[in-house]
Amino acid sequence: MRIGIVTDSTADVPPEIVAQHQIEVIPAIIVMEGKSLVDGKDISRGEFYEKLPTLETLPTTAAPSSGAFHSAYERLFQEGAQAILSLHVASQLSGMYNTAKMAAQAFGERVHIFDSRSVSMGLGFQVIAAAEAVTQSLSVEKIIHHLQAVRDKIRVIAMLDTLENIRRSGRVSWLTARIGSLLNIKLFVEVLDGAVLNLGQARTRRKGIAHLEELIRKLGKLERLAILHSNAEADARQLLADLNLDLSTSPHIVNVTPVIGVHVGVNGLGIAAVLK
Amino acid sequence: MTTPPQPEGSPEFAEKIRQQPIDGLALKNLTSAALTWLRTNHEIVNALNVFPVPDGDTGTNMVLTMQSAYDEIENTPKFRVGEVANDLAQGALMGARGNSGVILSQLWRGFARALDGQDVINGQTLANAFATARDTAYKGVVRPVEGTILTVAKDIAAAAKAALAITSDPFEILEIVVEAADASVEYTPELLDVLKDAGVVDAGGKGLFFILEGMLRFSKGMSLDTAVATVQPLSAIKLEGAMQTVEPGQDYEVVIDFRPDKPLVLEKYFGALEEMGTSIQIGEGDGMYRMHIHVPTEKRYEPIDYTMTVGTITKVHMENLLAQIGDIERDRQTQPLKLAPVEPGQIAVVSISPGQGIANVFASLGAAAIVEGGQTMNPSTQDILHAFENLPTDKIIILPNNKNIILAARAATEVTVKQTAVIPSRSVPQGLSALLRLVPDGDFDAVVQDMTSALDDVQTGEITTATRSVEIDGVSVEEGEIIVLHNGKLILSSDDLQDACLGFLEKADIEDYELITLFYGVDLPKTEAFRVADVIREKYPDHEIEVQYGGQPHYQFIISIE
Repeated sequence: MRIGIVTDSTADVPPEIVAQHQIEVIPAIIVMEGKSLVDGKDISRGEFYEKLPTLETLPTTAAPSSGAFHSAYERLFQEGAQAILSLHVASQLSGMYNTAKMAAQAFGERVHIFDSRSVSMGLGFQVIAAAEAVTQSLSVEKIIHHLQAVRDKIRVIAMLDTLENIRRSGRVSWLTARIGSLLNIKLFVEVLDGAVLNLGQARTRRKGIAHLEELIRKLGKLERLAILHSNAEADARQLLADLNLDLSTSPHIVNVTPVIGVHVGVNGLGIAAVLK
Repeated sequence: MTTPPQPEGSPEFAEKIRQQPIDGLALKNLTSAALTWLRTNHEIVNALNVFPVPDGDTGTNMVLTMQSAYDEIENTPKFRVGEVANDLAQGALMGARGNSGVILSQLWRGFARALDGQDVINGQTLANAFATARDTAYKGVVRPVEGTILTVAKDIAAAAKAALAITSDPFEILEIVVEAADASVEYTPELLDVLKDAGVVDAGGKGLFFILEGMLRFSKGMSLDTAVATVQPLSAIKLEGAMQTVEPGQDYEVVIDFRPDKPLVLEKYFGALEEMGTSIQIGEGDGMYRMHIHVPTEKRYEPIDYTMTVGTITKVHMENLLAQIGDIERDRQTQPLKLAPVEPGQIAVVSISPGQGIANVFASLGAAAIVEGGQTMNPSTQDILHAFENLPTDKIIILPNNKNIILAARAATEVTVKQTAVIPSRSVPQGLSALLRLVPDGDFDAVVQDMTSALDDVQTGEITTATRSVEIDGVSVEEGEIIVLHNGKLILSSDDLQDACLGFLEKADIEDYELITLFYGVDLPKTEAFRVADVIREKYPDHEIEVQYGGQPHYQFIISIE
């Protein structure tokens, strides 16, 4: 049985893996300075992060239209897929899941929408796991069962270099009180089961990165690792080198999707990992 | 807060007291006397300050603790002494402020425990009660230090036990105990070098002495409310602190410095002032006197006119207290505090903050409740308890942010069913450093451990004005000079704020640190705070300098180095 894999651009799956497994990626929409831009097509991540700190009004993001999902599913079926697994960013954090669900209705039981309950490569690793499972000719049910196990082992931790964006975006309720705070606060967050949790704070970037390293080491043995950053590639590479982990798969370094970047701001640093 | 009724003071009444057994009512009267006598003399206790900094006033703290104890039994219908003692202990615990207040409440707790089930106090039970009071207080302190109120409690217990060989009359035992307490207090400097260096006896011990002496004076029919006209060191007169206790009608604060033409007859001078106003304090240093009084508007010049008749006035300071309080209220209204929301099951942090600006910073970093308090205003156990009792979670972490509040915070943890822990932060920077590590959804014990370990990630500088001249830790300080405490230790004095700050940074060895945060106090103009910050920035170009409004009283700067 041929199974098509669909995700959205917030998964941050590296292009070579997308190509290798023929993953269908539906781009998210970024609304910036009054214009709707297609993630990765109308604006590169580098361009986006260069501009972000200068913007007076924070960009917003929008889920692709239901039609975008519909036509993607339709095309895959036309190309011979018999079933589709569509994995998306945590339903608690984005409307993407619901939009996909709506589009899937037209195809009955053939399209399965999977809530990753995660973001960026936390979703991306689930997409990769799904694609790899497909090559082993497993049934859709078995793959979903496998994905549920993978999902439980996903960890996403990040250090925000600035509180400005996440505060302004108003997406995290427990941050609303944080006005008039100290400067130089680095906030640690974890995305777990679709919730954004507070993992503490640090002052100064150097201490923050040291603490991030500590948090990562506390996770124990890792099967897969991606270093996530929002335009801080040098720090991301340094972090990977400092961690010096013994990994069975080669790690990724990912400049995260603007959809998350809007909330995180520039110079964020973090990881997505699959626990061993 | 209510003022206890004045026990009758006639010798006949005293005779009656001594002949009747000490039941609950008698204990109430004795406690009332103790409170009154302590209140009458609390400024003497306040003046026994080791460090020349505006510190938690031991006398005030003990009065407030005793007041809370007395309030608990003021209208009690109980007459069994054990029950009344138990209520007193409960009241003392809830009102405990400052380290001495907490230890005092523990003395009451132990005292009450020995009286459990008793109808009256006799000689034997009194001696037992002093012994359990001592044991309970010692157990309540992690590392008991000799030369403090604990030592006095120990000597009291020993004296009471020895007295049993001579008499079984509780009032005779009390007399012996008061003598022993006096001697014990006088001996405290021999046991504790900081007292000796500062030339004072232990304040908490002295307070305990006054409590017992008040009881004894009552039993002898001696007066309790006539202030013994004592002269304090000049430094004991705190102008700022007086603002909190403005009585209606006493709108003006007048402070007069003068040199008497001939030896001052204190009782007479004091008596004349009592006709004019309240909150009278008289200090002396090198033949110079300073008088402090609160008077109604129409009498604001009378203290000046009168003082001119006894000597030469060198300086007069007059302030409209009500106007000042208005200013403070306005400041408070302009900055609403936005506390961090907390959900059931999460860990909530209660932070004690000495200033509005610092409270805002604590709130912005995730504190769910703030208790006002700091150096000169130690919150009570109850204040702390109230702050977290109504939070919708059962996991509470308390940041005292001051060494004098740690014990009261611990006492609060002992009277709640919630899971609580005190992170022993001794300064605001330590408290902030710990708070950064708060993980609201984390494992309670792990978070407590992590936050505690963060205490030493920062260095603290506290910059204030010396309240008296002293030589301590090898640093010679003149009253009125700027002094610097580095992690709680006096390291230097200077006549200039900027020099004091720079001197501190030099001694703190900040090379391995990145960030210097200056919290400026309520009395320091913003422009001056930023000017000093600019000087520091120029001298330390590799460090990040952040200036924040702290709003703390007395301290020009609280500095965090991290």
